[in-house]
Amino acid sequence: MWRHRGFSALNISGLAVGMAAAFLILLYVGFELSYDTMFPKKDRIHMLVSDLKTPSDSYQIPVVDWSVLGKITPRFPEIQSSTRIVDMNLSIQKGTENFVEKRSLAADSTFFKIFDLKLLEGDPDEALRAPLSLVLSQTGAQKYFGSENPMGKSLKIMNGKYTAQITGIMQDLPKNTQIQADYLLSLSTYTKVIDPTLDESWGNYEPRGYVLLSENVNTKNLVSKINTFLEEEDGEKMKAANLFIKQDLELITDVYLYSTRIGSGSANINNIYIFGVVALFILLIASINFINLTTARSVERAKEVGIRKVVGAQKNQLMLQFVGESLIVTILAYILGIAIATLALPYFNTLAGQEVASGVFANWSYVGLFFAIALAIGLAAGTYPALVLSSFRPVSVLKGKFSTTRSGTFLRKALVVSQFTVSIILIIGTLIIYNQMHFMQSQDLGFAKDRLLILDIDNHPKQQLLADYLKKNPNIISVGKGSTVPGGGGNKSSALSIMQNSQGQDQTLTVDRYIIDDKYLDQLDIKLIAGRNFSRDLASDSTQALIINEKVVDLLGYSNPDAAIGASFDQWGREGQIVGVVADFHSESLQKEIQPLSFVFDTKQTKLLTLKVAAADLPETLAFVEESWKQFLPDTHFDYYFLDEFFDRQYRAEQRFSNLFLNFAVLAIFISCMGLLGLASYSTKQRRREIGIRKIVGASILGIVNLLSKEFIKLVGIAFLIAVPIAWFSMHKWLQDFAYRIEIPWWIFAVAGMLAIGVAMLTVSFQAIKAAIANPVKSLRTE
Amino acid sequence: MIKITDLEKYYATEEVRTIALNKLSFQVQKGEFVAVMGPSGCGKSTLLNILGLLDDPDGGSFIFNGIEVAGFNERKRADLRKHNIGFVFQSFNLIDELTVFENVELPLIYTGVKPAERKARVDEVLEKMQIMHRRKHFPQQLSGGQQQRVAVARAVVNNPKLILADEPTGNLDSSNGNEVMDLLTELNEAGTTIIMVTHSEHDAKYSHRIIRMLDGQKVTENVLTEYKSNTLEV
Repeated sequence: MWRHRGFSALNISGLAVGMAAAFLILLYVGFELSYDTMFPKKDRIHMLVSDLKTPSDSYQIPVVDWSVLGKITPRFPEIQSSTRIVDMNLSIQKGTENFVEKRSLAADSTFFKIFDLKLLEGDPDEALRAPLSLVLSQTGAQKYFGSENPMGKSLKIMNGKYTAQITGIMQDLPKNTQIQADYLLSLSTYTKVIDPTLDESWGNYEPRGYVLLSENVNTKNLVSKINTFLEEEDGEKMKAANLFIKQDLELITDVYLYSTRIGSGSANINNIYIFGVVALFILLIASINFINLTTARSVERAKEVGIRKVVGAQKNQLMLQFVGESLIVTILAYILGIAIATLALPYFNTLAGQEVASGVFANWSYVGLFFAIALAIGLAAGTYPALVLSSFRPVSVLKGKFSTTRSGTFLRKALVVSQFTVSIILIIGTLIIYNQMHFMQSQDLGFAKDRLLILDIDNHPKQQLLADYLKKNPNIISVGKGSTVPGGGGNKSSALSIMQNSQGQDQTLTVDRYIIDDKYLDQLDIKLIAGRNFSRDLASDSTQALIINEKVVDLLGYSNPDAAIGASFDQWGREGQIVGVVADFHSESLQKEIQPLSFVFDTKQTKLLTLKVAAADLPETLAFVEESWKQFLPDTHFDYYFLDEFFDRQYRAEQRFSNLFLNFAVLAIFISCMGLLGLASYSTKQRRREIGIRKIVGASILGIVNLLSKEFIKLVGIAFLIAVPIAWFSMHKWLQDFAYRIEIPWWIFAVAGMLAIGVAMLTVSFQAIKAAIANPVKSLRTE
Repeated sequence: MIKITDLEKYYATEEVRTIALNKLSFQVQKGEFVAVMGPSGCGKSTLLNILGLLDDPDGGSFIFNGIEVAGFNERKRADLRKHNIGFVFQSFNLIDELTVFENVELPLIYTGVKPAERKARVDEVLEKMQIMHRRKHFPQQLSGGQQQRVAVARAVVNNPKLILADEPTGNLDSSNGNEVMDLLTELNEAGTTIIMVTHSEHDAKYSHRIIRMLDGQKVTENVLTEYKSNTLEV
């Protein structure tokens, strides 16, 4: 091995890099697949979800209404226990400062029992029973109490309105669960203190519902029994509201990866499959290299084998030698690979946007699995040449009659083709993903997200004072108000609404609900295409007016926006006429279809201040806003964001995906080229004599380089032809996840092909030029 | 046609510097057939490589066809070589992957001859070497004598002014060897200058003049046939 240092180094490092990459991807895939699997009763915990149907529309949502669990849990013995969980932004005071804690949940008292979460302090059955009970994670306890014991102490919450008792301390929750919280408030705080009607309210969808079933329950039967029961119970209400509800159950371990419900799950099982395949590909490419290079070199050792045979080596002794050598090399590569993975893990965690593993050895089964893979590669790479070489007749080998067998050459060529096929697929994939990303970020969204500074003021009583003060700064062009902004900031809500359709009938539909002031539409440059904007001068606008988007116009069956003006509506007790229609705009990422949406005018219920600012002196403007905030609202934390950045955050998952993809595509190409380099150098070495002769009879250097490169370029060409349809098909499928997507442009294939051929050419021509400028006399003399 | 004066060539390894050619001088006239003899390691092959413009001398002068070529770069040498010089080797040096026809055609491809003309010229020379019937065969399917005839065909297909032969009969039995020597003689009689390195006194007798070398120097020179070039150019 040592005599062929360069060769061995190439061989070992290629395999090691491949293993390291595949290992990291496996960690990532394993992390995603492990979501919510840490709960001991995970096979019996289901999420109760709702399918809503109105005459015009249907919605699959991951939440339930407040009352349903209370109705079904005592009724069905199959349901052992249930809990509601409400996501919240809990404001907590520490001294004079007010923090908005986004990792907060409110849950029923059964929460700890269902999920088997241990409390470090406090009684899991009682900790969330009484209203205004608060359980902190270790992180939360540390933040508010430092080294003190928080048990029995209290904290002021919800802008100081209430005082909550600390009733428990829990361990920090693992990262791979959808239940993420450092602050757990008893849900009875909502149902007993804030709004005692909630437990009985119907049609108000907010909490997530989890049920713990008995062993061996047929969920299909249970779902149909639940739905029959609820129809008896609430049938009248459904008819009256023209809203029909069916419940369904989703196993907790499936929700994160498979649930397609709006607002549920954030991983995409397709992406995880893609990564799995990529990992497999990279490992495959690296192993192919290894096998390829090992078998290629074994031919050079034909003479050695001949001599060994002549001096008496048995066939199985030779086999053992070859397989043994190859195993040693793969084990070296394995050790190196694990070392590389260890070094690259922090970078990989950043790339993946989450800590997928704290260390390479966090999961021993993966480490073991890769050892097994390494052994398998070693065996495969050792056995083939061992079989071929050890069965040679020694005489013919010694006479130098042995030349590369046709099948061996074919095998190696096929392997190179498959490597480059994979690499080209990855390049095309990367280009298409980048194109789609670029498309999403540059697409006209139908509203202007630039230079909008959003202050999350949480409807503070002094907001008007602040707003008036901010208007004095010339760099603040306008100040508006809204309950939410595109991208889901603030309080995004949707409302069950009854509107008069084109037939003059009342139609029930669920629409997104934005509470805004009269400036909001102008600030976001949302275009009015019929009717009028809200007006401060019309008192009735704040109680009787509604603006809708084109989507609602379509759902109501109106032939044009103007026809919808004046139609009556009833939304959450607000009754009146539709006064305006806005052009559709993308209120969410382009993965989603544009949803029906409505605006109501109410300056008292807005949560956010929206500031249109000048492009100039932005840092000064921001400093001014912060100063003013501190002056008027000294007790709350300065919470702001720019709308464009906020909106683009929706693409973080895709951004991460494309970054990971790019990195691994580059890696795949790199490993492929290492293999090609090895093979090219081997092949040119074999053809030294031929090159010498050709030069003597007059071949130019360029001619020789051409001759040597042509063969490899042909292989890459074949790989390209195989890769294109596969890449097209799979990326076409990937794009289906986006409601708004690019057409796959043809130039991507051309670029990918040229890139692959270019890189291959560079790799090969390096060897070819070296061979071509060599003195032909020398190559002939060594014969 | 060839005039070398004080030609020098060294081979240096890390420790030792070996002198391969030590101020060697001689001339070869156009149309002459010269044999170079000497024990192994006397510098014959080095000389042939320099004469064949495959290698560059370290010192001295080498005038080929009236041009000083010592110090020519690789590219100029290659250009001169492919138009003027044909090689015949002891080990034939045919390309195994190419047929007889393709092997012979190679020099014509590299000098940019058109396909139709190439075919005509290859056929003509194969006919002359009497291996036309083997044109589609691969080298390894031929006997040694046949292979060397292919090599000679390849050497002459371009009508070179000079043929350099390095032990052309070394790998052949005597009857095949004689055939090859007859071929070379015929070519020489048709006007091609030939310089042949050989160990064989028998083969050397085919030449006009024998130059004997030892340790990179010319020791003796005996003229077998007085050769008078019809031109006096060197």
